[in-house]
Amino acid sequence: MTPRALRRWFGIHKWTSLVCSIFLLIVCVTGLPMLFSEQIFDTFVGDDDPPYESLPADTPNASLDVIVHKAMALYPGQIITSVNPEDDEPAVLISMAPSWQALKDDETYPDRHSGHWIKFDARTAKVLKQSRPADAPKEPRSWTGVILGTCTRLHMNLFAGLPGALFMGAMGAVFVASLVSGTVLYGRFMKRLPFGSVRTDRASRLTWLDLHNLLGATTLVWATVVGFTGLVNELQTPLFGLWRVTDVRQILKPYANLPVPSQGHLSSVQGAFDTAAKAAPGNEVTGLSFPGASFGSPVHYVLWTRGATPLRARLFTPVLVDARTGELTGAYPMPWYLRFLEISRPLHFGDYGGIPLRILWALLDMVVIFVLVSGLVLWAGKRRIATDARLRALGYDLNEVDALPALAESAR
Amino acid sequence: MNAVSPSPVVTPRPSVAIWLWPIVLGLLTVFGLLSALLGQHGIWLALSWTALSIPLIVTVACLLRAWCRTPSVKGGQS
Repeated sequence: MTPRALRRWFGIHKWTSLVCSIFLLIVCVTGLPMLFSEQIFDTFVGDDDPPYESLPADTPNASLDVIVHKAMALYPGQIITSVNPEDDEPAVLISMAPSWQALKDDETYPDRHSGHWIKFDARTAKVLKQSRPADAPKEPRSWTGVILGTCTRLHMNLFAGLPGALFMGAMGAVFVASLVSGTVLYGRFMKRLPFGSVRTDRASRLTWLDLHNLLGATTLVWATVVGFTGLVNELQTPLFGLWRVTDVRQILKPYANLPVPSQGHLSSVQGAFDTAAKAAPGNEVTGLSFPGASFGSPVHYVLWTRGATPLRARLFTPVLVDARTGELTGAYPMPWYLRFLEISRPLHFGDYGGIPLRILWALLDMVVIFVLVSGLVLWAGKRRIATDARLRALGYDLNEVDALPALAESAR
Repeated sequence: MNAVSPSPVVTPRPSVAIWLWPIVLGLLTVFGLLSALLGQHGIWLALSWTALSIPLIVTVACLLRAWCRTPSVKGGQS
Protein backbone atom coordinates (compact mmCIF):
# COMPACT_ATOMS: atom_id res chain seq x y z
CA MET A 1 0.00 0.00 0.00
CA THR A 2 1.39 3.38 -0.92
CA PRO A 3 1.69 5.99 1.85
CA ARG A 4 -0.83 8.08 -0.03
CA ALA A 5 -3.44 5.28 -0.04
CA LEU A 6 -2.76 4.62 3.62
CA ARG A 7 -3.29 8.28 4.46
CA ARG A 8 -6.54 8.22 2.52
CA TRP A 9 -7.83 5.10 4.34
CA PHE A 10 -6.80 6.64 7.61
CA GLY A 11 -8.77 9.78 6.78
CA ILE A 12 -11.82 7.73 5.83
CA HIS A 13 -11.62 5.75 9.06
CA LYS A 14 -11.16 8.85 11.18
CA TRP A 15 -14.00 10.84 9.71
CA THR A 16 -16.56 8.04 9.31
CA SER A 17 -15.88 6.96 12.90
CA LEU A 18 -16.09 10.49 14.27
CA VAL A 19 -19.36 11.13 12.47
CA CYS A 20 -21.08 8.01 13.78
CA SER A 21 -19.38 7.26 17.09
CA ILE A 22 -21.60 9.36 19.37
CA PHE A 23 -24.74 7.88 17.79
CA LEU A 24 -23.24 4.40 17.86
CA LEU A 25 -22.53 4.84 21.57
CA ILE A 26 -26.17 5.83 22.13
CA VAL A 27 -27.33 2.80 20.15
CA CYS A 28 -24.98 0.38 21.92
CA VAL A 29 -25.88 1.62 25.41
CA THR A 30 -29.65 1.80 24.86
CA GLY A 31 -29.57 -1.59 23.14
CA LEU A 32 -28.42 -3.33 26.32
CA PRO A 33 -31.66 -2.93 28.33
CA MET A 34 -33.68 -3.55 25.16
CA LEU A 35 -32.06 -6.97 24.82
CA PHE A 36 -33.52 -8.01 28.15
CA SER A 37 -36.75 -6.01 28.05
CA GLU A 38 -38.95 -9.11 28.49
CA GLN A 39 -36.99 -10.29 31.51
CA ILE A 40 -36.93 -6.77 32.99
CA PHE A 41 -40.69 -6.44 32.60
CA ASP A 42 -41.36 -9.86 34.07
CA THR A 43 -39.14 -9.12 37.06
CA PHE A 44 -40.12 -5.56 37.88
CA VAL A 45 -43.58 -5.07 36.43
CA GLY A 46 -45.31 -8.37 35.72
CA ASP A 47 -48.91 -8.31 34.54
CA ASP A 48 -52.08 -8.10 36.56
CA ASP A 49 -54.11 -10.23 34.14
CA PRO A 50 -56.57 -12.61 35.78
CA PRO A 51 -55.36 -16.23 35.66
CA TYR A 52 -56.69 -18.56 32.97
CA GLU A 53 -59.32 -21.13 33.80
CA SER A 54 -57.63 -24.50 34.05
CA LEU A 55 -59.11 -26.67 31.35
CA PRO A 56 -57.92 -29.97 29.88
CA ALA A 57 -55.08 -29.37 27.40
CA ASP A 58 -57.12 -30.72 24.50
CA THR A 59 -60.03 -28.29 25.01
CA PRO A 60 -60.92 -27.03 21.53
CA ASN A 61 -60.96 -23.30 20.85
CA ALA A 62 -64.30 -21.52 20.56
CA SER A 63 -65.25 -20.39 17.07
CA LEU A 64 -63.93 -16.90 16.37
CA ASP A 65 -67.40 -16.02 15.10
CA VAL A 66 -68.79 -16.51 18.61
CA ILE A 67 -66.12 -14.21 20.03
CA VAL A 68 -66.69 -11.58 17.32
CA HIS A 69 -70.45 -11.58 17.97
CA LYS A 70 -69.92 -11.23 21.71
CA ALA A 71 -67.65 -8.23 21.11
CA MET A 72 -70.25 -6.64 18.80
CA ALA A 73 -72.95 -7.20 21.41
CA LEU A 74 -70.80 -5.54 24.09
CA TYR A 75 -70.38 -2.38 22.02
CA PRO A 76 -73.39 -2.09 19.72
CA GLY A 77 -72.89 0.46 16.96
CA GLN A 78 -69.09 0.21 17.07
CA ILE A 79 -66.88 -1.54 14.54
CA ILE A 80 -64.34 -4.30 14.94
CA THR A 81 -60.98 -3.38 13.44
CA SER A 82 -58.95 -6.56 13.97
CA VAL A 83 -58.93 -10.05 15.46
CA ASN A 84 -55.62 -11.35 16.82
CA PRO A 85 -55.23 -14.74 18.48
CA GLU A 86 -52.25 -14.60 20.86
CA ASP A 87 -49.48 -17.03 20.05
CA ASP A 88 -48.19 -17.75 23.55
CA GLU A 89 -51.43 -17.92 25.55
CA PRO A 90 -54.99 -19.09 24.86
CA ALA A 91 -56.43 -15.66 24.27
CA VAL A 92 -57.93 -13.68 21.40
CA LEU A 93 -57.59 -9.92 21.23
CA ILE A 94 -60.47 -8.06 19.54
CA SER A 95 -59.74 -4.42 18.65
CA MET A 96 -62.68 -2.06 18.26
CA ALA A 97 -63.38 1.59 17.50
CA PRO A 98 -66.44 3.85 17.14
CA SER A 99 -65.76 4.03 13.36
CA TRP A 100 -62.92 3.94 10.82
CA GLN A 101 -63.27 7.69 10.52
CA ALA A 102 -62.76 8.11 14.28
CA LEU A 103 -59.54 6.08 14.03
CA LYS A 104 -58.36 8.23 11.13
CA ASP A 105 -59.12 11.39 13.10
CA ASP A 106 -56.99 10.09 15.97
CA GLU A 107 -53.95 10.64 13.76
CA THR A 108 -54.60 14.39 13.65
CA TYR A 109 -55.36 14.63 17.39
CA PRO A 110 -52.55 12.83 19.22
CA ASP A 111 -54.36 12.94 22.60
CA ARG A 112 -57.43 11.13 21.28
CA HIS A 113 -57.55 7.35 21.49
CA SER A 114 -60.83 6.08 20.16
CA GLY A 115 -59.59 2.51 19.61
CA HIS A 116 -59.88 -0.03 22.42
CA TRP A 117 -59.57 -3.80 22.86
CA ILE A 118 -61.20 -6.75 24.57
CA LYS A 119 -59.29 -9.90 25.52
CA PHE A 120 -61.24 -13.15 25.33
CA ASP A 121 -60.34 -16.63 26.51
CA ALA A 122 -59.88 -18.47 23.22
CA ARG A 123 -61.48 -21.65 24.58
CA THR A 124 -64.46 -20.41 26.60
CA ALA A 125 -65.05 -17.13 24.71
CA LYS A 126 -65.32 -15.35 28.08
CA VAL A 127 -64.09 -11.78 28.48
CA LEU A 128 -60.77 -11.78 30.35
CA LYS A 129 -59.79 -8.14 30.31
CA GLN A 130 -60.55 -4.87 28.56
CA SER A 131 -58.37 -1.89 27.75
CA ARG A 132 -58.75 1.10 30.02
CA PRO A 133 -61.48 3.45 28.81
CA ALA A 134 -60.10 6.51 27.05
CA ASP A 135 -61.62 8.92 29.60
CA ALA A 136 -60.23 7.04 32.63
CA PRO A 137 -57.39 8.73 34.50
CA LYS A 138 -54.04 7.73 33.04
CA GLU A 139 -52.27 4.84 34.68
CA PRO A 140 -49.03 6.06 36.25
CA ARG A 141 -46.14 4.81 34.14
CA SER A 142 -43.73 2.53 35.90
CA TRP A 143 -40.10 3.62 35.96
CA THR A 144 -39.17 0.46 34.06
CA GLY A 145 -41.61 1.43 31.34
CA VAL A 146 -40.19 4.95 31.18
CA ILE A 147 -36.59 3.75 30.97
CA LEU A 148 -37.29 1.07 28.37
CA GLY A 149 -39.51 3.42 26.37
CA THR A 150 -36.83 6.10 26.36
CA CYS A 151 -34.16 3.59 25.35
CA THR A 152 -36.30 2.23 22.52
CA ARG A 153 -37.11 5.66 21.10
CA LEU A 154 -33.51 6.83 21.38
CA HIS A 155 -32.28 3.60 19.80
CA MET A 156 -34.69 3.69 16.88
CA ASN A 157 -35.03 7.36 15.99
CA LEU A 158 -33.73 9.73 18.69
CA PHE A 159 -37.34 10.80 19.38
CA ALA A 160 -37.51 12.20 15.84
CA GLY A 161 -39.88 9.81 14.04
CA LEU A 162 -39.18 8.91 10.43
CA PRO A 163 -36.47 11.55 9.84
CA GLY A 164 -34.74 10.27 12.97
CA ALA A 165 -34.99 6.68 11.76
CA LEU A 166 -33.53 7.60 8.36
CA PHE A 167 -30.77 9.57 10.05
CA MET A 168 -29.90 6.59 12.24
CA GLY A 169 -29.97 4.41 9.12
CA ALA A 170 -27.45 6.77 7.53
CA MET A 171 -25.30 6.51 10.67
CA GLY A 172 -25.49 2.72 10.25
CA ALA A 173 -24.14 3.06 6.71
CA VAL A 174 -21.33 5.35 7.94
CA PHE A 175 -20.55 2.79 10.65
CA VAL A 176 -20.20 0.03 8.05
CA ALA A 177 -17.85 2.30 6.06
CA SER A 178 -15.80 2.90 9.20
CA LEU A 179 -15.60 -0.87 9.82
CA VAL A 180 -14.37 -1.49 6.27
CA SER A 181 -11.72 1.23 6.46
CA GLY A 182 -10.77 0.04 9.94
CA THR A 183 -10.19 -3.46 8.56
CA VAL A 184 -7.85 -2.09 5.89
CA LEU A 185 -5.89 -0.16 8.53
CA TYR A 186 -5.78 -3.25 10.75
CA GLY A 187 -4.00 -5.18 8.01
CA ARG A 188 -1.45 -2.39 7.75
CA PHE A 189 -0.85 -2.03 11.50
CA MET A 190 -0.53 -5.75 12.14
CA LYS A 191 2.25 -6.23 9.54
CA ARG A 192 4.84 -6.33 12.32
CA LEU A 193 2.81 -7.67 15.22
CA PRO A 194 1.44 -11.14 15.94
CA PHE A 195 -2.32 -11.40 16.40
CA GLY A 196 -3.55 -10.45 19.83
CA SER A 197 -0.45 -8.64 21.00
CA VAL A 198 -1.12 -5.81 23.42
CA ARG A 199 1.97 -3.75 24.18
CA THR A 200 1.60 -2.76 27.82
CA ASP A 201 5.22 -1.86 28.47
CA ARG A 202 5.40 1.20 26.27
CA ALA A 203 3.46 4.39 25.61
CA SER A 204 -0.14 4.09 26.79
CA ARG A 205 -1.19 5.26 23.36
CA LEU A 206 0.19 2.01 21.93
CA THR A 207 -1.81 0.01 24.48
CA TRP A 208 -4.98 1.80 23.44
CA LEU A 209 -4.16 1.22 19.78
CA ASP A 210 -3.50 -2.49 20.33
CA LEU A 211 -6.70 -2.90 22.34
CA HIS A 212 -8.66 -1.04 19.65
CA ASN A 213 -7.19 -3.39 17.01
CA LEU A 214 -7.65 -6.60 19.00
CA LEU A 215 -11.22 -5.98 20.17
CA GLY A 216 -12.18 -4.53 16.79
CA ALA A 217 -10.81 -7.56 14.95
CA THR A 218 -12.53 -10.13 17.17
CA THR A 219 -15.96 -8.47 16.95
CA LEU A 220 -15.65 -7.21 13.36
CA VAL A 221 -18.08 -9.65 11.74
CA TRP A 222 -20.67 -9.39 14.52
CA ALA A 223 -20.54 -5.59 14.44
CA THR A 224 -20.86 -5.58 10.65
CA VAL A 225 -23.88 -7.90 10.71
CA VAL A 226 -25.67 -6.05 13.52
CA GLY A 227 -24.79 -2.65 12.04
CA PHE A 228 -25.95 -3.55 8.55
CA THR A 229 -29.18 -5.25 9.70
CA GLY A 230 -29.82 -2.22 11.92
CA LEU A 231 -29.53 -0.01 8.86
CA VAL A 232 -32.00 -2.25 6.99
CA ASN A 233 -34.42 -2.08 9.94
CA GLU A 234 -34.34 1.71 9.91
CA LEU A 235 -35.51 1.57 6.29
CA GLN A 236 -38.66 -0.38 7.12
CA THR A 237 -41.10 2.52 6.78
CA PRO A 238 -39.96 3.52 3.27
CA LEU A 239 -39.72 -0.15 2.22
CA PHE A 240 -43.28 -0.90 3.34
CA GLY A 241 -44.36 2.35 1.69
CA LEU A 242 -42.74 1.27 -1.57
CA TRP A 243 -44.61 -2.03 -1.42
CA ARG A 244 -47.91 -0.25 -0.77
CA VAL A 245 -47.63 2.10 -3.71
CA THR A 246 -46.50 -0.65 -6.11
CA ASP A 247 -47.77 -4.22 -5.58
CA VAL A 248 -50.50 -3.52 -3.02
CA ARG A 249 -52.02 -0.72 -5.06
CA GLN A 250 -52.03 -2.98 -8.11
CA ILE A 251 -53.78 -5.81 -6.24
CA LEU A 252 -56.40 -3.56 -4.66
CA LYS A 253 -57.10 -1.45 -7.75
CA PRO A 254 -60.33 -3.26 -8.81
CA TYR A 255 -61.83 -2.78 -5.34
CA ALA A 256 -60.53 0.66 -4.41
CA ASN A 257 -63.75 2.55 -5.02
CA LEU A 258 -66.25 0.10 -3.52
CA PRO A 259 -68.13 1.11 -0.36
CA VAL A 260 -67.28 -0.61 2.96
CA PRO A 261 -70.13 -3.06 3.70
CA SER A 262 -71.73 -2.89 7.14
CA GLN A 263 -70.16 -5.32 9.60
CA GLY A 264 -73.46 -7.11 10.21
CA HIS A 265 -73.38 -8.54 6.70
CA LEU A 266 -69.86 -9.96 6.44
CA SER A 267 -68.88 -13.57 5.91
CA SER A 268 -67.57 -15.74 8.74
CA VAL A 269 -64.35 -14.64 10.46
CA GLN A 270 -63.55 -18.23 11.46
CA GLY A 271 -64.14 -19.24 7.83
CA ALA A 272 -61.67 -16.55 6.69
CA PHE A 273 -59.01 -17.90 9.11
CA ASP A 274 -59.55 -21.43 7.75
CA THR A 275 -59.42 -20.26 4.13
CA ALA A 276 -56.20 -18.31 4.78
CA ALA A 277 -54.54 -21.29 6.49
CA LYS A 278 -55.28 -23.37 3.38
CA ALA A 279 -54.10 -20.62 1.01
CA ALA A 280 -50.72 -20.31 2.72
CA PRO A 281 -49.74 -23.89 3.56
CA GLY A 282 -47.07 -24.22 6.23
CA ASN A 283 -47.97 -20.81 7.61
CA GLU A 284 -49.91 -19.93 10.73
CA VAL A 285 -52.52 -17.16 10.67
CA THR A 286 -51.65 -14.49 13.21
CA GLY A 287 -54.36 -11.91 12.70
CA LEU A 288 -57.16 -10.47 10.63
CA SER A 289 -58.06 -6.88 9.77
CA PHE A 290 -61.63 -5.99 8.90
CA PRO A 291 -62.56 -4.39 5.57
CA GLY A 292 -62.01 -0.64 5.60
CA ALA A 293 -58.65 -0.59 7.44
CA SER A 294 -56.42 2.18 6.12
CA PHE A 295 -53.92 -0.19 4.47
CA GLY A 296 -56.41 -2.74 3.14
CA SER A 297 -59.31 -3.09 0.76
CA PRO A 298 -62.87 -1.91 1.50
CA VAL A 299 -64.34 -5.36 0.87
CA HIS A 300 -61.65 -7.81 2.04
CA TYR A 301 -60.52 -9.37 5.24
CA VAL A 302 -56.71 -9.02 5.30
CA LEU A 303 -55.18 -12.01 7.07
CA TRP A 304 -51.55 -12.00 8.17
CA THR A 305 -49.86 -15.37 8.02
CA ARG A 306 -46.30 -16.19 8.91
CA GLY A 307 -43.93 -19.10 8.48
CA ALA A 308 -43.97 -21.73 11.19
CA THR A 309 -40.20 -22.30 11.25
CA PRO A 310 -38.03 -19.78 13.15
CA LEU A 311 -36.28 -18.60 10.00
CA ARG A 312 -39.58 -17.90 8.28
CA ALA A 313 -41.48 -16.80 11.40
CA ARG A 314 -40.88 -13.18 10.50
CA LEU A 315 -41.75 -13.61 6.84
CA PHE A 316 -45.33 -12.46 6.57
CA THR A 317 -47.61 -13.42 3.70
CA PRO A 318 -50.86 -11.44 3.58
CA VAL A 319 -53.95 -13.27 2.33
CA LEU A 320 -57.06 -11.51 1.03
CA VAL A 321 -60.46 -13.11 1.63
CA ASP A 322 -63.51 -11.43 0.14
CA ALA A 323 -65.61 -10.44 3.17
CA ARG A 324 -68.83 -10.38 1.11
CA THR A 325 -68.61 -13.96 -0.10
CA GLY A 326 -65.95 -15.64 2.05
CA GLU A 327 -64.06 -16.61 -1.14
CA LEU A 328 -60.27 -16.53 -1.33
CA THR A 329 -58.95 -13.67 -3.47
CA GLY A 330 -55.28 -14.58 -3.15
CA ALA A 331 -52.11 -14.92 -1.10
CA TYR A 332 -49.43 -12.34 -1.79
CA PRO A 333 -45.86 -13.19 -0.74
CA MET A 334 -43.89 -10.07 0.01
CA PRO A 335 -41.31 -8.72 -2.45
CA TRP A 336 -37.64 -9.59 -1.94
CA TYR A 337 -36.75 -6.36 -0.18
CA LEU A 338 -39.34 -6.94 2.54
CA ARG A 339 -38.32 -10.59 2.89
CA PHE A 340 -34.76 -9.36 3.36
CA LEU A 341 -35.99 -6.91 5.99
CA GLU A 342 -37.80 -9.68 7.84
CA ILE A 343 -34.67 -11.87 7.90
CA SER A 344 -32.61 -8.88 9.06
CA ARG A 345 -34.67 -8.48 12.20
CA PRO A 346 -33.60 -11.55 14.18
CA LEU A 347 -29.98 -10.97 13.18
CA HIS A 348 -30.22 -7.48 14.62
CA PHE A 349 -32.23 -8.29 17.76
CA GLY A 350 -30.40 -11.51 18.76
CA ASP A 351 -33.69 -12.88 20.04
CA TYR A 352 -33.65 -16.24 18.31
CA GLY A 353 -31.37 -18.35 20.45
CA GLY A 354 -32.58 -18.16 24.02
CA ILE A 355 -31.07 -16.28 26.93
CA PRO A 356 -27.45 -17.40 26.25
CA LEU A 357 -27.58 -15.75 22.83
CA ARG A 358 -28.91 -12.53 24.36
CA ILE A 359 -26.09 -12.60 26.92
CA LEU A 360 -23.53 -13.10 24.12
CA TRP A 361 -25.17 -10.21 22.27
CA ALA A 362 -24.77 -8.04 25.36
CA LEU A 363 -21.11 -9.02 25.83
CA LEU A 364 -20.27 -8.41 22.17
CA ASP A 365 -22.11 -5.10 22.42
CA MET A 366 -19.96 -4.11 25.39
CA VAL A 367 -16.79 -5.00 23.47
CA VAL A 368 -17.99 -2.76 20.63
CA ILE A 369 -18.59 0.05 23.16
CA PHE A 370 -14.97 -0.36 24.24
CA VAL A 371 -13.79 -0.24 20.61
CA LEU A 372 -15.73 3.01 20.13
CA VAL A 373 -14.35 4.53 23.32
CA SER A 374 -10.77 3.46 22.58
CA GLY A 375 -11.12 4.94 19.10
CA LEU A 376 -12.21 8.24 20.64
CA VAL A 377 -9.31 8.10 23.12
CA LEU A 378 -6.84 7.55 20.26
CA TRP A 379 -8.34 10.45 18.33
CA ALA A 380 -8.37 12.76 21.36
CA GLY A 381 -4.77 11.78 22.21
CA LYS A 382 -3.69 12.53 18.68
CA ARG A 383 -5.37 15.87 18.82
CA ARG A 384 -3.57 16.70 22.04
CA ILE A 385 -0.24 15.85 20.47
CA ALA A 386 -1.01 18.16 17.60
CA THR A 387 -2.18 20.89 19.95
CA ASP A 388 0.86 20.42 22.19
CA ALA A 389 3.16 20.78 19.21
CA ARG A 390 1.37 23.95 18.24
CA LEU A 391 1.52 25.33 21.78
CA ARG A 392 5.22 24.55 22.04
CA ALA A 393 5.76 26.38 18.79
CA LEU A 394 4.12 29.38 20.44
CA GLY A 395 6.61 29.17 23.31
CA TYR A 396 4.42 27.77 26.10
CA ASP A 397 6.07 25.50 28.63
CA LEU A 398 3.67 22.59 28.79
CA ASN A 399 5.51 20.53 31.40
CA GLU A 400 4.84 23.23 33.97
CA VAL A 401 1.10 23.05 33.37
CA ASP A 402 1.13 19.25 33.40
CA ALA A 403 3.00 19.19 36.71
CA LEU A 404 0.41 21.24 38.59
CA PRO A 405 -2.19 18.51 39.21
CA ALA A 406 0.58 16.18 40.31
CA LEU A 407 1.76 18.75 42.88
CA ALA A 408 -1.74 19.21 44.18
CA GLU A 409 -2.03 15.45 44.46
CA SER A 410 1.16 15.04 46.50
CA ALA A 411 0.30 17.98 48.76
CA ARG A 412 -2.67 16.08 50.18
CA MET B 1 1.98 -16.93 18.47
CA ASN B 2 5.18 -15.57 19.90
CA ALA B 3 5.66 -13.31 22.83
CA VAL B 4 5.44 -9.66 22.00
CA SER B 5 8.75 -8.37 20.80
CA PRO B 6 9.76 -5.06 22.33
CA SER B 7 11.68 -4.15 19.22
CA PRO B 8 9.73 -2.61 16.36
CA VAL B 9 12.27 -3.85 13.81
CA VAL B 10 10.67 -7.16 12.86
CA THR B 11 10.27 -8.42 9.36
CA PRO B 12 6.77 -7.84 7.97
CA ARG B 13 4.55 -10.87 8.28
CA PRO B 14 2.88 -12.43 5.24
CA SER B 15 -0.79 -11.58 4.70
CA VAL B 16 -1.84 -15.10 5.65
CA ALA B 17 -0.40 -14.67 9.11
CA ILE B 18 -2.10 -11.31 9.58
CA TRP B 19 -5.50 -12.44 8.48
CA LEU B 20 -5.61 -16.03 9.74
CA TRP B 21 -7.05 -15.26 13.19
CA PRO B 22 -9.51 -12.55 12.10
CA ILE B 23 -10.81 -14.82 9.34
CA VAL B 24 -11.18 -17.83 11.65
CA LEU B 25 -13.02 -15.72 14.24
CA GLY B 26 -15.15 -14.14 11.53
CA LEU B 27 -16.16 -17.53 10.14
CA LEU B 28 -16.99 -18.75 13.65
CA THR B 29 -19.18 -15.69 14.15
CA VAL B 30 -21.01 -16.28 10.87
CA PHE B 31 -21.49 -19.93 11.75
CA GLY B 32 -22.78 -19.01 15.21
CA LEU B 33 -25.22 -16.43 13.85
CA LEU B 34 -26.62 -18.77 11.22
CA SER B 35 -26.70 -22.07 13.11
CA ALA B 36 -29.17 -20.75 15.69
CA LEU B 37 -31.23 -19.06 12.98
CA LEU B 38 -31.43 -22.06 10.65
CA GLY B 39 -31.18 -24.91 13.14
CA GLN B 40 -33.16 -23.67 16.16
CA HIS B 41 -32.84 -27.00 17.96
CA GLY B 42 -30.76 -28.25 20.86
CA ILE B 43 -27.46 -29.04 19.22
CA TRP B 44 -27.56 -26.10 16.77
CA LEU B 45 -28.29 -23.67 19.57
CA ALA B 46 -25.44 -25.06 21.66
CA LEU B 47 -23.09 -24.85 18.65
CA SER B 48 -24.20 -21.26 18.08
CA TRP B 49 -23.50 -20.27 21.68
CA THR B 50 -20.10 -21.99 21.53
CA ALA B 51 -19.10 -20.45 18.21
CA LEU B 52 -20.09 -16.95 19.30
CA SER B 53 -18.28 -17.25 22.62
CA ILE B 54 -14.95 -18.16 21.02
CA PRO B 55 -14.13 -14.61 19.80
CA LEU B 56 -14.85 -13.35 23.33
CA ILE B 57 -12.75 -16.07 24.92
CA VAL B 58 -9.86 -15.37 22.53
CA THR B 59 -10.09 -11.67 23.41
CA VAL B 60 -9.97 -12.37 27.13
CA ALA B 61 -7.06 -14.81 26.64
CA CYS B 62 -5.06 -12.18 24.74
CA LEU B 63 -5.74 -9.57 27.42
CA LEU B 64 -4.74 -11.92 30.24
CA ARG B 65 -1.56 -12.89 28.40
CA ALA B 66 -0.62 -9.27 27.82
CA TRP B 67 -1.12 -8.18 31.42
CA CYS B 68 0.21 -11.28 33.15
CA ARG B 69 3.38 -11.85 31.15
CA THR B 70 4.57 -8.28 30.93
CA PRO B 71 3.33 -6.44 33.99
CA SER B 72 2.76 -2.89 32.93
CA VAL B 73 5.46 -0.59 34.26
CA LYS B 74 3.95 2.54 32.86
CA GLY B 75 0.46 2.01 34.21
CA GLY B 76 -1.32 4.99 32.75
CA GLN B 77 -4.91 5.15 31.62
CA SER B 78 -5.25 1.53 30.70
